[in-house]
Amino acid sequence: MKKRIVIVGGGIGGTMTANNMVSKLGVEIRRNQVEVMLISNSPWHYYKPAFMYVAFDMYHKAELRRKQATLLRPEVRFVVDEVEAFEFSASRLHTRSGAHYDYDYLVVSTGCLPAPERIEGLAEAGDHFYQFEPARRLAQKLRTIERGRIFITVTFPKTPDVPHQCGIAPIETTLMVDELLRRRGVRDRVEILYTYPTVSQLLRNCLFMQKQTCEVLPQIFSDRDIHFKRGFTLERVDPDARVAHSTEGDSEDFDILMSTPPIRAVDAVINSGVSEAAEDEGWLPTNRRSLQLKGHPNVYCMGDTVDLPISKAGGSCHNQSPVIIDNIAFDLRQGATPAVYDGRVQAIAQMGLEAGMPLWYDYDQDVQPTPPTKVGGLMRKTFNRGVYWATARGLV
Amino acid sequence: MLTATKPQDAAAVLADPDTAEGLRDLAEHLTPLLQGRRLHNVVDLLSATSDFIDMADDQLTQKLAKAFEEVVWAGWSAGNALRSASATAADSEPPTLWQLSRQLNDPEVRRGLFFIIQLLGAVGRQVALEAEIPEDD
Repeated sequence: MKKRIVIVGGGIGGTMTANNMVSKLGVEIRRNQVEVMLISNSPWHYYKPAFMYVAFDMYHKAELRRKQATLLRPEVRFVVDEVEAFEFSASRLHTRSGAHYDYDYLVVSTGCLPAPERIEGLAEAGDHFYQFEPARRLAQKLRTIERGRIFITVTFPKTPDVPHQCGIAPIETTLMVDELLRRRGVRDRVEILYTYPTVSQLLRNCLFMQKQTCEVLPQIFSDRDIHFKRGFTLERVDPDARVAHSTEGDSEDFDILMSTPPIRAVDAVINSGVSEAAEDEGWLPTNRRSLQLKGHPNVYCMGDTVDLPISKAGGSCHNQSPVIIDNIAFDLRQGATPAVYDGRVQAIAQMGLEAGMPLWYDYDQDVQPTPPTKVGGLMRKTFNRGVYWATARGLV
Repeated sequence: MLTATKPQDAAAVLADPDTAEGLRDLAEHLTPLLQGRRLHNVVDLLSATSDFIDMADDQLTQKLAKAFEEVVWAGWSAGNALRSASATAADSEPPTLWQLSRQLNDPEVRRGLFFIIQLLGAVGRQVALEAEIPEDD
């Protein structure tokens, strides 16, 4: 009987997994023994990290998206529909159109959503760059601010040892704001204050989620006259007074509040009832080595959806995807799941508007910060504009 | 390693025993290239690479990245079509002429034929441009 592998989510994780899955299982697909299906709620594929550049007027919408179908190998059955309910114990899922799909294997790659509404006043008074429209609104403010104060906050999930979206993004954008304002000639009239919460995964009172990077940040910020403050956990925002309050009892005023907001899983994942995450955040309990959903060995989780202490970023998906594909292929052919994820993540951080810093880490080894360079910046820009789409097609 | 302190002076850097040891190993490794004056070529190549990096700007990066994507897209689309057609042809009995002609009922087949005819037209137009040799001034 034909086996069905369903992948849910048309982001980078789902797309590269669908393409590489049909490549890995080419023989079985040709013999009509296996079907690979990708379900996405959009006919478009967005390069999500480019939203950050939208906030700095560096990207047009047409440049950061492609039609999803043009990124998929023809062996992938592509369905545009919204998954509304997972029945993990019955190996079945239901969609908004009223359809249901039974599966032999499922890969959940549904990402996460910014949830500024989870902090009082943040949705009204704050800005962020994790979606297209909010990034455009932030761009309008960064384009026109003449004097005042830009206040930067970072909020971690309440679930212990789970990071916020794209770990390096707050630092990237802080340095980009500094450089943009210098180009505009208003930097001496705009104060930048970078803050970080008291608890950042396993660290306390740092400026980043990893210690070695945290230690070099004060010098980097001081060189650019960027002010910084530890121990500011955003509790609520007063939109009228334009003041942010912390759980530590501190208050800071602002003209622009650039936040890394709270995040949560998508509704269907939260409503599946299997998450053990705090505050209904919905992260799926994931085996850190095999990437199987705990208690459901035919379900695999990847990307932003997992409850692992690993960056919620495409660089994680790139390393998780081959492990999942290998385990499903081995299980189909030999009844075993030997592939192991070591927590590896790699990326090229955008350090200001021009420079870049390649970085990588895993469960055991933190990022080793190196000096940002123009070559690193060119690598990042080349990735953004060209290599990313080859990665989505499963070619890199 | 990106350090939080200001750079040390050159003498202090060279006084580091690990750095001195590394430099001695490197010099030994480079000796044949140095003595044969062949290291000059490598330095020239590095110099040219450095020139390219200095000259590269956002516009150049965008153009190169776009060219890369277009080449990848062309290869990807052709590869997908080739793989799909090859698998279907290999797994089927050879069709009769009648069965072949009935394939023309498939709108996707007609679209593919239309594409190839359009492609031939575009190639023909470019060939015609090559054939035209303007008169000398």
